[in-house]
Amino acid sequence: MNFGMVGRILGTLLLIEALILAVPLLVSVVYGETAASAFAWSIVITAAAGLVLTRIKPGSDTIKAREGLLIVTLGWAAAAVFGALPFFFARAVPTFIDALFECTSGLTTTGATIINDPEALPRGILFWRSFSHWLGGMGILVFTLALLPAIGVGGMQIYKAEAPGPSADKLVPRLANTAQLLYTVYLGLTVLAVLALVCAGVPLFDAVLLGFGAVGTGGFTPYSTPMGSVGGSAVPWALAVLMILAGVNFSLYYELWRRRWSSLGSNSELKVYLGITVLSAALVTMNLVRSLQYGWGDAAKHALFQVSSIITTTGYSTADYSQWPEFSKAVLFMLLFVGGSAGSTAGGIKVIRLMVAAKLVGREVRRMLHSQALVPVTINGRVVPQETVASIASFVFLYLGLFVAGTLLVALAGTDLFTSASAAAATLGNVGVGFGLVGPGNSFSFFSGPVKLLLTVLMLVGRLEMFTVLVIFTPGFWRQA
Amino acid sequence: MRIFIAGAGKLGYKVAEALSRNGHDITVVDTDDQALQRVNNNLDVLTAKGNAAQLQILEQFNMERTSIVLAVTDSDETNILICQMAKELGCARAAARVRDPAYAKQIDFFSRRFGIDFIINPDQEVAKEIGRYLVQGGAIHVEQFAQGRVGLVEYSVSLRPELAGRMLCELDVFHGLLVVAVSRDGEIIIPHGSTQLAGKDVLYLIGKTPDLKAFAGDGEPWPQRLLPRNVMILGGGNAGFYLARHLQELGAAVKIIEQDEARCAYLAENLRNVLVIHGDGSDHDLLEEENLSQMDALVTLTGLDEENLLLALLGKQRGIGRVVAKVSRSNFISLIEQLGIDRAVNPVLISAAAIIRFIQGGQIASLSLLFGGQAEVVEIIVTEASQVVGVTLADLNLPQGMIVGAIVRGSQVTIPRGDSVIRPGDRVVVFCLAALVNQLERLFYRPRGGFLRELWHGRKDSGNPSAD
Repeated sequence: MNFGMVGRILGTLLLIEALILAVPLLVSVVYGETAASAFAWSIVITAAAGLVLTRIKPGSDTIKAREGLLIVTLGWAAAAVFGALPFFFARAVPTFIDALFECTSGLTTTGATIINDPEALPRGILFWRSFSHWLGGMGILVFTLALLPAIGVGGMQIYKAEAPGPSADKLVPRLANTAQLLYTVYLGLTVLAVLALVCAGVPLFDAVLLGFGAVGTGGFTPYSTPMGSVGGSAVPWALAVLMILAGVNFSLYYELWRRRWSSLGSNSELKVYLGITVLSAALVTMNLVRSLQYGWGDAAKHALFQVSSIITTTGYSTADYSQWPEFSKAVLFMLLFVGGSAGSTAGGIKVIRLMVAAKLVGREVRRMLHSQALVPVTINGRVVPQETVASIASFVFLYLGLFVAGTLLVALAGTDLFTSASAAAATLGNVGVGFGLVGPGNSFSFFSGPVKLLLTVLMLVGRLEMFTVLVIFTPGFWRQA
Repeated sequence: MRIFIAGAGKLGYKVAEALSRNGHDITVVDTDDQALQRVNNNLDVLTAKGNAAQLQILEQFNMERTSIVLAVTDSDETNILICQMAKELGCARAAARVRDPAYAKQIDFFSRRFGIDFIINPDQEVAKEIGRYLVQGGAIHVEQFAQGRVGLVEYSVSLRPELAGRMLCELDVFHGLLVVAVSRDGEIIIPHGSTQLAGKDVLYLIGKTPDLKAFAGDGEPWPQRLLPRNVMILGGGNAGFYLARHLQELGAAVKIIEQDEARCAYLAENLRNVLVIHGDGSDHDLLEEENLSQMDALVTLTGLDEENLLLALLGKQRGIGRVVAKVSRSNFISLIEQLGIDRAVNPVLISAAAIIRFIQGGQIASLSLLFGGQAEVVEIIVTEASQVVGVTLADLNLPQGMIVGAIVRGSQVTIPRGDSVIRPGDRVVVFCLAALVNQLERLFYRPRGGFLRELWHGRKDSGNPSAD
């Protein structure tokens, strides 16, 4: 284990975080808030820690898989701990655990909040909360790679450990250029989002916050209630489209830009992702109309918004869907697990993994009939290697296992089953909103300290797609041989 | 530069490694998943699975924007086809590996008619390298730079036992020479004054050719044009064929022992005045019968590294003066030379160096890879824009492991000291550890740029003057 290099990169990451914290500081100063001093202190502490770590002289500059995994896990943990400082210093939350929960929820683009009354918060804090979605959406270490390409070869190990989805592919030969391209797409999408929201009548500050949340598929809002009445009537439609766009594999936007239309048409994950979204929205719409709560127009609007918000693991809501009929709730609950496409900012299991798992089931069925048949699992007409299939199957199993374990532990604290289950699913999948006591417009503040800590860990484990974090806790990881 | 490499085998990997370190954008295409996996895990390059001779693949990677296509797959024909197609699609330059000696004579035709700019024949390069070594002879190995004015010499301390145990600063034998590296038990040591030499160390010295002669020759003239009179070559593959022809032309008596009868017939037909013997090269009796111990040089060129090594050791034990073995795995080279074999030759490294020389073209005048690619010695023509121009070497603060060994200005050679200054147009011979190659490149080729630009680009950008 090359601890020197791990320390150096973590230090670099903290220095960058200190720089980034200057943005909310600036917001605070512009609005003349006292929270500015909270940011100033946080910057000083974060920069000091970063400076100490970057002074380490590593013996060699190789980063192997082990170092990559450790850097990513510790990097996220450290970013959350230091990013929590402003919440704590500004007294936006009562305890440091609350601050940690809020910041982790932001960085992992979960959007579960423990703040009951966001309207009362200083603007700087509100900005930092939503800005953390934007940072975490594409991955904070990818950000580091984009800024500091000198990390070089070992960067691939970091990229693989952080990128969402079963395989991390580069767009162009150099990893640093790939990271820069991804951030260019991301930035473009964000600007588009803010412009669209402003045009739809949302005030600029709120539009920026909502844009960060939508494109990063986070879900923090500056409101304490579902956002039914913000801006004009076009706002829910605009947000729904933006969220759906953020749930698409970002490399497809690069293909689009290179005018390779065919790779878009032949991408089966995109088709399935859009298919699930449209089908679910149609089902919920019909169900809502049948139960006579809404007219067709309203039903379609709320259904599409809610479905895209949950499938992309954003967690915005326009209405209190816990009042909706049971079938609609069931559809939304299932969507908590789906997540967007691989290579997007969304969390969850990811559509491509579900496709492979489904094809695996199909293969078993065919094998029942033809026991000697060789049936490869294919995606986009290409055979998925056997090892990838196996790792995807174990991913899905582990995901469900962690969901069950999380539900049990939350229920142990005395919460009702529906709330416990949806809290576990909403944090593990980085959705941030569930049912029951954690339904739309509610906060997670009523949970006890240990439960909040558990949910914080679930968010981090879910964002880093489990194996990256779990492997750190195996004895084999630390063995020198 | 955007470079497209077809074939992720040993040569493709080595070239991709060196070029990506030098800051080029590399794409590697191969049909083998495992080979690609290895590339992907260790190098910062793009990989794609597929047959590079397919139009679809070449079009996908946009040949018009590609500077160089390098075809190094297993098959000569595929390589030629890839280059031809790439050229047709608008790629600027193309290079192919072509091994079959049957094609060797039509290389001119390939370049003229098919537009293939560079054809590398590893076996021929190996034969050239071994031939050069055998002709130069002795326990030293020499590379020449700046049209022979500057040399790099590999010198074993065992040749001068009195040096062992002494510190470099107390030795007064390196007149005008620079000790750039010491190899000890396969490890590279960057020496300083207090480095103590050990009996088995190998020194790497850079200096003016006459000074090197004076030092290394010590009585014998150098390069001692002492052609070995009797040479035995084990293994009549392509490299053996070229080497036998070369040595025979120089006037040596050459014996080739080859196992395959049909191959023997081919060799006998195509090589004049070379004794071709059909038999098993590892058969002691046969070797005795053919007077192994009377040979001046033994070269083992069979297809198996292990066999080459054992036979070379056998030759050494029989007291043959110069023993050369072909070893395909580059990581073992330093280990092998420790075993007492005079020279281990690696086709991959030799070919990789030739390809890199071709690609870097303009500025890099010559280059040789040392220690299985862990270090290199380059001759660079310094341009006006380079950062090293006009500053004394002491002020340049070159990192440890990067040593300017010689500055050649016109016909005048200077072995630099701290107060030497490099001027535009100079040729400099630089020793550099592989890990520092990107810094070397930044210092010597890249125009002066701001700190921010450096931070953003990390290594280099397309505005680099070394491109094309």
